[in-house]
Amino acid sequence: MRVVHAALLSGVVVLGACARTRKSNETVLTFSGSALGAEGTLVAKQLQRFMQLHPGIRVELQRTPDDANQRHQLYVQWLNARVGNPDILQLDVVWTPEFAAAGWVLPLTRFKPASGEFFPATITANTWAGQLYALPWFADVGLLYRRTDFVPNEPRSLGELVADAKQAMARPGGPRFGIVWQGARYEGLITGFVEYLGAFGGRILDDSGRVVVNQPQAVRALQFMRDELYSSHIAPLDVLTWHEEEARFAFQNGTAVFMRNWPYPVAAMSDKSQSSVAGKFAVSPIPASGEAGGHSTAALGGAQLAINAYSESPDAAYRLIEYLTAPEQMLERGQAVGQYPTRPALYSDSRLRAALAIPLDDARRAIESATPRPVTPIYTELSEILQIELHRALVRQAEPQEALNSAAKKIDALIERTGMRRLMGAEQKAASPTGSSMAGHTE
Amino acid sequence: MTGVTAAPRARRQKAGISWGGWIFGTALVVLILFTLFPFYWAIVASLTPDAALFRDPSLWPQHIILDHYRALFGERDFITPIRNSLIVAGTTTIFCLCVGTLAAYALARLEFKGKAPIMGFILAVTMFPQISIVSPLYLLLRALHLIDTYPGLIMPYMTFAMPLTVWVLTGSIRQIPKDLEEAAHVDGASRRQSFTKILLPLAVPSLATTGILTFIYCWNEFLFALSFTLGPERQTVPVAIALFRGMYQVPWGEILAAAIVATAPVAAMVLIFQRRIVQGLTAGAVKG
Amino acid sequence: MRKISRLGHEARLGWTLVAPALSVIALIAIFPLGWTVWESLHLHELRMPWLGQPFVGFANYVEIAKDPRFWAALAHTAFFTVVSISLELLIGLFLALAMNRAFRGRGFVRAAVLVPWAIPTVVAALLWRFMFESQGGIANALLVDVHILKQPIVWFIETSTAWVPVILADVWKTTPFVALLLLAGLQNIDLSLYEAAAVDGANAWWQLRHITLPLLKPAILVTLIFRTLDGFRVFDLIYVLTGGGPGTSTEPVALYTFNALLQNLRFGYGSALSVVIFAITFGLALIYVKGLGVRLGGDET
Repeated sequence: MRVVHAALLSGVVVLGACARTRKSNETVLTFSGSALGAEGTLVAKQLQRFMQLHPGIRVELQRTPDDANQRHQLYVQWLNARVGNPDILQLDVVWTPEFAAAGWVLPLTRFKPASGEFFPATITANTWAGQLYALPWFADVGLLYRRTDFVPNEPRSLGELVADAKQAMARPGGPRFGIVWQGARYEGLITGFVEYLGAFGGRILDDSGRVVVNQPQAVRALQFMRDELYSSHIAPLDVLTWHEEEARFAFQNGTAVFMRNWPYPVAAMSDKSQSSVAGKFAVSPIPASGEAGGHSTAALGGAQLAINAYSESPDAAYRLIEYLTAPEQMLERGQAVGQYPTRPALYSDSRLRAALAIPLDDARRAIESATPRPVTPIYTELSEILQIELHRALVRQAEPQEALNSAAKKIDALIERTGMRRLMGAEQKAASPTGSSMAGHTE
Repeated sequence: MTGVTAAPRARRQKAGISWGGWIFGTALVVLILFTLFPFYWAIVASLTPDAALFRDPSLWPQHIILDHYRALFGERDFITPIRNSLIVAGTTTIFCLCVGTLAAYALARLEFKGKAPIMGFILAVTMFPQISIVSPLYLLLRALHLIDTYPGLIMPYMTFAMPLTVWVLTGSIRQIPKDLEEAAHVDGASRRQSFTKILLPLAVPSLATTGILTFIYCWNEFLFALSFTLGPERQTVPVAIALFRGMYQVPWGEILAAAIVATAPVAAMVLIFQRRIVQGLTAGAVKG
Repeated sequence: MRKISRLGHEARLGWTLVAPALSVIALIAIFPLGWTVWESLHLHELRMPWLGQPFVGFANYVEIAKDPRFWAALAHTAFFTVVSISLELLIGLFLALAMNRAFRGRGFVRAAVLVPWAIPTVVAALLWRFMFESQGGIANALLVDVHILKQPIVWFIETSTAWVPVILADVWKTTPFVALLLLAGLQNIDLSLYEAAAVDGANAWWQLRHITLPLLKPAILVTLIFRTLDGFRVFDLIYVLTGGGPGTSTEPVALYTFNALLQNLRFGYGSALSVVIFAITFGLALIYVKGLGVRLGGDET
């Protein structure tokens, strides 16, 4: 099998075109995805069913790396070379505008997708210059995990969260840490920051694409994260080197009262054989600061499906995307691998209730309040700038205001250098009739 | 350091151990511990369950498990990167030896103008920052559709392997006495004959040494392998290990198990061939 | 006459034999370098096809000159190079002197110190990262046990402590190489010099300062060259150990360039950075060779 995949990977570029002309009456689609584990089995099953429904279309699975950075590099390289395979690309939520602006994925407008049936935030994240470029396949949201044996009720504000954490830590036999999150210098730091930012009513870019990440609300959000480390001491300094799993280990071993994480650890932590907190934790949306303008929000992650702009069979490709994002397949996905559907309607389905292991209302609430990270083609570089400056502030190499000023200055320069200003101006005009906002997040 | 420093190899040790001898011995033991401890610790940790890794580390293994090694060769499929590394490093080494021997022979044995500049040029290339040529090589390989293929790694590897091979081989061929070849020439043997019949057999140990060095450098290379491969199918050992970090987790147990597995062959090579490697490393590098 | 024609024949043969190796090197090293220079004069962002690929002259170099992150990276690189090489020379000299002595287990010592040199840098970096990872790691445990630290610390969130594992890992990995180069130099020193000095009643310290070190100078300089150039190219070690953090306070130039080139796919700017690194290393080598009179390699030079 591996050899076949290898041959596919290296040969597909050259041979792709020849292969598809062999049978003139059959359309061959390539789908990019993982072939590993439960996910791989599920995808294979769904592709098989799709082919039975559409006898004229054959779908081949092209295995791509699971690591996001690597997959990104691979796509960029293929698209630069104008390769038509894979026909269907699986995009991270922050890539869609980049690929759209580069002309690497097709706008879906002409297929008239039923975008109203998806969570609005997931649609916004996939919209660039007033057009929809990808359909959300599944959603990931930041959640607040808490130990119900110490904190029975979900905190209504960040102030309450700090108080609850301190109280639990002070109890005899209470956990050592108040809250754990992901503070290493990587994309995860941005997702956490976006949540605190929303809680204080701040943003990274505003609706017209101006940089507002050094405004007072943002400074207060960053200051709050810093205070958790150095003032209220509810977060251990360790978190500044932590990714998702380190946080999960700490929480799962019972050493933390609260944890910020994605939905994925729920299953493992509910397993009594490996978790000391099974049955003793609950999730809720991350609370607001309690200050004016602040609101509860969650960072939005997940995968999207888009059509390669160089694909020879975009219509068939859209049919496959439509099939994979249809309610039945999404439900099946939720059941098989526990990933959250992007259709609100499914959250009243009892079959999903059994699959997701957390109350459906909580899950829906979290997604409804989710915020896309800045929707812009230059996101990756913008994120790198922010990661560095946030980390500098959190390890106390710089004061929050100073770090955010520096970030704002660099992001401004980035926007200037990449001609984004002009692009966004044009886009504003294009978008204004519909009134939707592209750059920056919607609330 | 007194009492140690200048004691040349020929001088016999005095019967009693001096004060300086004690310091010397202690320092050496500390250095050896410093050298070996990371390996020891990696072995211990690779046999420890992940959940216990950072909880009260103990110098002795508590409950030994083999799960990490099982995972390594099961779902991780660590065989693939090992195979890739063997193919890439092996091919590069063999090619470099074939082409490099000719050049080294010429540089060590023939008199001709331009020798010194050539040696200088080769040395200059070994000092190349790899990062300086990553982007054009990337574009070149992409144009040739060689990204994520074996030739796509072997070619870039020549940039450092070829100068290394030629340099080390030239140095060690020079150390082979000329007498036999000269005698053969007097007897009317041609250059080709003296090369194939006399020098080549004598140079076999040098070739082996050079081959080992080149192989080790290729086996360890990281930047090119990271830049010119795209997925697990073609990744080499160092890249595979560095990218073990999953979407969410850092599987330390498996990383360390992989580190041990990747280290074992080179460590074995070093232990067996240490004398040769030392000769190879120093040949040509330092003279007078 | 005969001699001249024989020499002419030798020259032709020599060039013929050298040609394949040289052309391989030229094709895959020199040609790409030229390409890098060319690329560095253009704006070329793989991710932003809408910008095109215009010729921008020296704009990329001007941007570098004004880029504080580049200057900071250069400073980190210099710091790393100076500190690690000093330690390596000191320890390497000790090891070389030790291995130059006859004692039981010398072969074992030589093999043991060689192993770190032979393993992939990535693996070395991971081993050290693991030991310093987390407050529950072994480095913290040992240092608290021997009372060097009062309580466990998080090594990778402060610049000063983040350098510790980086430098240690480099010293651990490269000292054997340094020691071997020095050992080769030591073995070229005429033993009778020491015997004469000993007859004159010179102690070991005097012998080290007045015989060993002066005569070892060429070997030390050669080692310095190799290690300085390696130091300026450091990439894998820091990529794995700190990723350049906290913030970017341990980021070396090669890592910054890698980032610009292969993470952000800014081929124009990244190429300009590559050219600058090349110029710096080349300049350093030149200073060593011309300024300090280091003689490298063969008897032709």
